[in-house]
Amino acid sequence: MADYREAPLATRPKTLDPNEYFNLSPDYRRAEEERAALRANLKRQYQLQLNNPHRTELIEDPALTRWVYARANPYPHFRPTKKTSLLGVMFGVVPLFALYYIFKTDRDKKEEMIKAGTLNRKFSLSY
Amino acid sequence: MRTSHSVRQQQPVNMAGVGFQRLAKALAKGKGSGLSALVSGCRAASGATKDSLPGAYPKTPEERAAAAKKYNLRVEDYEPYPDNGEGFGDYPKLQDRSQHERDPWYKWDHPDLRRNWGEPMHWNFDMYLRTRVDTSPSPVPWSTMWKQLFGFVGFMLFMFYMGEKFPSYQPIAPKQYPYNNLYLEKGGDPAKAPEEVKNYEI
Repeated sequence: MADYREAPLATRPKTLDPNEYFNLSPDYRRAEEERAALRANLKRQYQLQLNNPHRTELIEDPALTRWVYARANPYPHFRPTKKTSLLGVMFGVVPLFALYYIFKTDRDKKEEMIKAGTLNRKFSLSY
Repeated sequence: MRTSHSVRQQQPVNMAGVGFQRLAKALAKGKGSGLSALVSGCRAASGATKDSLPGAYPKTPEERAAAAKKYNLRVEDYEPYPDNGEGFGDYPKLQDRSQHERDPWYKWDHPDLRRNWGEPMHWNFDMYLRTRVDTSPSPVPWSTMWKQLFGFVGFMLFMFYMGEKFPSYQPIAPKQYPYNNLYLEKGGDPAKAPEEVKNYEI
């Protein structure tokens, strides 16, 4: 086990982490036990609901609800700072004007060439 | 007895509307006028409560502890995103590890998502699914991979550009035609003498 090397594209599983077995401080152990207690509590809640024979509805996951709510409602926590304003301008305002300018100049040049008769308008099936 | 019954029922009653009328009367017991009189002011106590949903950035330690409890995390593990107005609120900042990296042999509650019920979800959970972004360790460091790829592509582009700028091919010249540049074939007058064309040098 000491010479275990994980597969080239995989992370090392927690149970094979040497820190789990050697040089364990009581703080680390306590922390891991608290995390395990939280996990076990959630597992218990889920299993009770899952194996309840009188249950007719879907099991609602509050963590999922919270995630969806957090992703869908960032607006109350938005504040205009330097970074957010810069991002907003870069993605919202600059493309508007830049694309308008690019398309306008390109089309005007093409129009001039057409009027002067210099544009090579060959027939092409695919493009 | 029967005659008194029939005497009372003189007004024609639309039986379909009776139930609706009774329902409307029951609902309209609320105070206020208009729509608020019909709609009751209380709601059921089921479903997610207001304080189990994400809120604002926690400023005091008590708020931090309450938020950690809400998200099923240890108080020491709970770390909210920095409060710089980007819209995260008090959502916890978890490790940027994709679901690819989770143990495939553990009995997850949701095996396809490699996630247990109630476990706090990463902000970018839908990006870190097993069908999308993978943060597994690579056999060679990323910087090496980038260097190799861009090195090769850049070198090829550079060489093609050089080939365009300095073309190298066998020496060529325009095609030379005999008989004074095909004077007769090109429709020249047979009576007139063509001008002599010499396409060689000795």
